Amino acid sequence: MIFHYHLFDMRDGWASLSRRPLRSLLSSLGIGIGVTALIAMLSIGEGAKKSALDKIASLGTDALRIENNSQAAFTGRNSLANISKGLVVADAEYLAEWLGTRGNVGAYVRRENVTISREGRSVVATVLGVSAGWFEAEKVQLQSGRSVNQGDITLRENVCVAGSRITTILGTAPGSSIMLQRFPSNLVGVLAPKGRLLTEGTGLSALDFDNTVILPIFSLQAIFPGKDEARLDGLVITLNDSDEASILSIGAQVEEILLVRHKGVEDYSLVIPLNLLKEARDSQRLFSLIMGTIAGLSLLVGGIGVMNVMLANIAEQTREIGLRMAVGASRSRIANLYLWNSFLLTMTGGIWGMAAGVILALFIQKYAGWDVAFSSFSLIVAPLSALITGIVFGVHPAVRAASLQPASALRDS
Amino acid sequence: MALAPLSLVVVEAEFLVVTGRSGSGKSTLLNLLSTLDKPSHGEVMLNGVSLTLMNEKQIAHLRNSCFGFIFQMPHLLPEKTVLENVVLPFHYGKLPVEVDVEKRCSELLDYVGLGEFGLRYPDTLSGGEMQRVVFARALARRPEVIFADEPTGSLDAGNSKKIMRLLQEQVERGCTVIMASHDVDAVHYGTRIVHLDKVESSLRQEPV
Repeated sequence: MIFHYHLFDMRDGWASLSRRPLRSLLSSLGIGIGVTALIAMLSIGEGAKKSALDKIASLGTDALRIENNSQAAFTGRNSLANISKGLVVADAEYLAEWLGTRGNVGAYVRRENVTISREGRSVVATVLGVSAGWFEAEKVQLQSGRSVNQGDITLRENVCVAGSRITTILGTAPGSSIMLQRFPSNLVGVLAPKGRLLTEGTGLSALDFDNTVILPIFSLQAIFPGKDEARLDGLVITLNDSDEASILSIGAQVEEILLVRHKGVEDYSLVIPLNLLKEARDSQRLFSLIMGTIAGLSLLVGGIGVMNVMLANIAEQTREIGLRMAVGASRSRIANLYLWNSFLLTMTGGIWGMAAGVILALFIQKYAGWDVAFSSFSLIVAPLSALITGIVFGVHPAVRAASLQPASALRDS
Repeated sequence: MALAPLSLVVVEAEFLVVTGRSGSGKSTLLNLLSTLDKPSHGEVMLNGVSLTLMNEKQIAHLRNSCFGFIFQMPHLLPEKTVLENVVLPFHYGKLPVEVDVEKRCSELLDYVGLGEFGLRYPDTLSGGEMQRVVFARALARRPEVIFADEPTGSLDAGNSKKIMRLLQEQVERGCTVIMASHDVDAVHYGTRIVHLDKVESSLRQEPV
């Protein structure tokens, strides 16, 4: 019976709103814009969060990344080069010893835009010369073959491990030989596809694992001489304890150690991805606060618009309310009817607002290049906020309609 | 005070016509008797039960199940069809299980001569037709009392006659009709006439 009453009141409410379609449409516009703003901003926020999380996950939440920054540090201050040489193999060895069983340290030097070829096929790739600990520290998996080991490094073996994209393009497999520029190297392993290191905005150099050839650290320096053999381009440290406080504490200690070893010259940059996560969370919180305020204000304005239209409708329908009361509608049924009216108005706004919000977010993604993501949270919160707005701003008109006296309502002109 | 003090007893199956000059309180009296208005003093009783002591839900139920209303202006919901307007009272009270509501309402439209008009909207009807729809709606829940406030006030002679005959038929079937009217022709259909005269604060009753 209650279901029948609600169904009837809902249909009546819809019919009543349909009588003045333009007014109803304009009234739902306010709510719709609020919901559009809410959906668009939530999805942009969600996209930014997802992008930040992807980036941090790619860099490793339990990792510390250090890159040589001596060029920037020495610019215009050549005297500093005499004090510190930047990141060197000795730094890696010291940190590995200091860290002990708490983690792994991987050191590397890199060369960009190296032409890798085999039997007429070629590809331009990054070449890394790595320490034995790099594979473990970087958590790279092998698709086939073996990795570079300490023996290869000590003996300066002419071996390499290639990214999956390179072996696909060159059509090669472990056991064959490939050319690094004009130097032959024996392919001993292929990396499992891992994709890119998402370094945008971190100050770190980009790296596409699938498009990289990895050699023993000293072999690379033998093939591509020109740099001091002891110098490194970077270090990656992975900690076994993934506790946030522990990682941040070790990060601070590593920074202190390097600063002392480099005699106070900051010719390196230390990036702690966990800190990026914290920064991303803080930005996300601020963004959520701002967008929540904007969407809340839009909904408030929309809600006031709905209430205004509801009061106007009630003023116009006073005789009809009197008639309904005369044929037996209780005050609660009259209130119910007008609550349905405001609910339908706000939900209509909410539904098209959701659609417009999704379109707006996709539009922003396409033309502004921002990442967007649609979470179930936003798709629940948006209509829910429209629903709550409808109820909150519909109560006053509904109570006003229900408190009319039937005789005077019927006399209304 | 909109109405001078009076005491009035209406018996079952009576066609009571309340007459009086404009402003004498005819409509007020009908509103008070039909619970559309609350008396500031005094009491309205139905079958020995005081209506003034009833709560809002009981009064709404009473209006829905026992009373039928016909107003001077034919009040219909414009967004509903003629048939939906007649069915309206059923949506505000318990649905009778033994009655096919739509069938009954269609029969009532047949009864008032508008059987073909069920799917039309009120704005396509004439004033007389609309008043007959109101009449059909008043009968929908088989009321014990029909309150008719100037039911022929906005109708031509032909339509007035039709409405009055329909009301008379209801009285013949055992329904009580209380009608306010200053239409001389309509008065003749009553079984009793009550004349309200505010100036004299008196009530004159004369049987027809």
